[in-house]
Amino acid sequence: MNMVRLDKQKFSNFILELSAEYTVFAPGKVGGKTEFVPIRSEDEIDFKTLVTDMSPKGIFFPSSEVLYEYDKQGIRVPEKEIGKPIAVWGMRGCDSRSLLMLNKVFGSAIQMPEDEKFQDPYWKEKYDSSLIFGSACNTPLSTCFCNWFGGGPHSREGMDVFVVDAGDSFLMEPVTGKGSNFLRELTCFADSTEKDEAVAKKLASDAESSMAAPMEVTDLGERLNDLFEEAVWEEISAKCINCGACTFSCPTCHCYDIQDEGKGSRGKRIRVWDSCMFPIFTMEASGHNPRALSSQRVRQRVMHKYSYFPEKYGEFLCTGCGRCVTACPVNLDIREVLKTINAYNKQGITNG
Amino acid sequence: MGNYCIPQQMKVERIGTEDPTRTLRTYDLSFVNDSDREAFKYLPGQFCELSIPGKGESPFGIASSPTEEGFLRFTVNRTGSVTNEIHYLRNGDTIGMRGPLGNWYPVDDLKGMNVLIVGGGFAFTTLRSLLIYLMDAREDYRDITVIYGARNPDLFIYKDEIALWKQRDDIRMHLTIDKPVDGWNEKTGFVPTVVEEVAPDPENTMAIVCGPPVMIKYTLPVLTKLGFSDERIYTSLERRMKCGIGKCGRCNIGSKYICIDGPVFSMAELKNIPETV
Ligand SMILES: Cc1cc2nc3c(=O)[nH]c(=O)nc-3n(C[C@H](O)[C@H](O)[C@H](O)COP(=O)(O)OP(=O)(O)OC[C@H]3O[C@@H](n4cnc5c(N)ncnc54)[C@H](O)[C@@H]3O)c2cc1C
Ligand code: SF4
Ligand code: SF4
Ligand code: FES
Repeated sequence: MNMVRLDKQKFSNFILELSAEYTVFAPGKVGGKTEFVPIRSEDEIDFKTLVTDMSPKGIFFPSSEVLYEYDKQGIRVPEKEIGKPIAVWGMRGCDSRSLLMLNKVFGSAIQMPEDEKFQDPYWKEKYDSSLIFGSACNTPLSTCFCNWFGGGPHSREGMDVFVVDAGDSFLMEPVTGKGSNFLRELTCFADSTEKDEAVAKKLASDAESSMAAPMEVTDLGERLNDLFEEAVWEEISAKCINCGACTFSCPTCHCYDIQDEGKGSRGKRIRVWDSCMFPIFTMEASGHNPRALSSQRVRQRVMHKYSYFPEKYGEFLCTGCGRCVTACPVNLDIREVLKTINAYNKQGITNG
Repeated sequence: MGNYCIPQQMKVERIGTEDPTRTLRTYDLSFVNDSDREAFKYLPGQFCELSIPGKGESPFGIASSPTEEGFLRFTVNRTGSVTNEIHYLRNGDTIGMRGPLGNWYPVDDLKGMNVLIVGGGFAFTTLRSLLIYLMDAREDYRDITVIYGARNPDLFIYKDEIALWKQRDDIRMHLTIDKPVDGWNEKTGFVPTVVEEVAPDPENTMAIVCGPPVMIKYTLPVLTKLGFSDERIYTSLERRMKCGIGKCGRCNIGSKYICIDGPVFSMAELKNIPETV
């Protein structure tokens, strides 16, 4: 199936049809912050924001999620609140890629890919049946660096349908079979013309060329491994206040804690986002803490994303969305960190 | 599909006290549901998450051997909220359990070899599992040497069994305590020193080490000095855990998650990982 065109006048119709089958999430405003929220109509959608303050990971991996409830009778997994599967409108290429990364963690275990015991039912229930409408970026931000890691403003990875905002219409191109099946069922589309396709191409090349040149990252993992014991981590982490804003806003950070809430024999076990930036994250009952120092924790965050995850899964655990750059209260810019690593390596190791 | 978060229900069958201050207790558990029991297959070195509603979960090495039928054994050091609560359990109470988790000691590779078991303190749990497992097919293995250390004589776990093992002529038992005390006529000194003194022959021998981090840290180099190759030394590591299946992200050393890539690692695997112990 080729690209189709949806005139913006028909967009509210489209949302209605989509809502009939799916619970639809789209960028919206919550108390001055932008994040993905459930919507019912076009007016609730924020079309302007390019990168939402909070990433869409919370749609599939909520910041707090009940694993089960318990009482004297036993244990119950709560019924799904949302009966319908989830559709997301307006997901940027960096964010749809992040879902593929998270799916590598939650969907199965690389050590035992077939073993159901290592699949996360809470994630799979929501993610496997979802329909993702991507959203091409025509004007990338100065904090965007998706092009460092194989992404791009018109990347289609992780989307079911790729969508380009072409002014008075949306151009939609199915990426997966699921995406084309859905588009085929709807009547509100027109076939795209050669002109539409030329417009989409031009927007893509303009967006790509507006971005700064990427840093070379091919041997980043190796460099990081070489520098593990170096004092450079103290320099890098010196201003970090360990607030965790970077990890909470990050679409790929998946660390969580499991906690019990309740009184007496009634209560629930929940999982909540956690952060490797907090000292308690690794604190053991004996008082021993393998990552007691801030420099060790900052190093862990960087190593996980650019060395450990790539070693296991063959790709970086970072989409270059730039949220951590924007969110950090002390302007600790991950791009600068990686540049420091690159430069340090060159003087300290290669020439030394 | 299955749900790894949901604990199986276990019943406390027997509670033993390991030390005079009652900080260390041993629990024999049985499965409440037959289907859970049938599905539960494990090997020495694996662990489970014991789960107390309202308090949480904690990982514990399985101290029983799969060759012992009818119960699963855990020895629990009372140290925080979950372990406190476990110590309140009485016979007949139920407790949640998830597992078996993690990998195991290389039991197949031990066949036809000499086995050196080095343990410290209450971390002897999974080493007990291993020792019983080996003893239950004694003819498959050659010499078995055990070096087990504790701070003082009270802190050895499984004292009754140790007494029996000492009487056997097919295990060489070396017990050691940190400092001499009256009435103690076994070895004294830290485990690494005793390993050096006993100097087990590395020829055709596999060394399995489990204990507190300092013990592991100083024992591994001694084994290397004695001539054990990195492929012939295995150790079991610990980190704070939650999920137990490589998702919650906290128990890693380098790129390895202790809960799913471990807890058992060969020295060869640990060689390139910084900060292991
Ligand atoms: C693979 C493995 C095997 C273990 N085997 C045994 C054993 O056989 N016997 C025994 O007594 N102890 C064992 N431990 C240590 C035991 O898990 C901790 O002492 C226990 O989790 C402390 O829990 P708490 O709630 O009482 O302490 P708190 O300090 O209240 O801890 C809160 C939570 O943090 C986590 N946590 C804290 N310390 C540790 C730790 N050292 N390791 C893992 N998670 C921790 C747990 O989720 C715990 O519930 C083992 C640990 C691991 C990783
Ligand atoms: S590390 Fe920063 S740039 Fe990379 S995915 Fe996370 S928030 Fe985005
Ligand atoms: S947001 Fe900045 S200050 Fe806060 S933990 Fe992350 S790097 Fe440190
Ligand atoms: S305990 Fe969660 S990753 Fe190991």
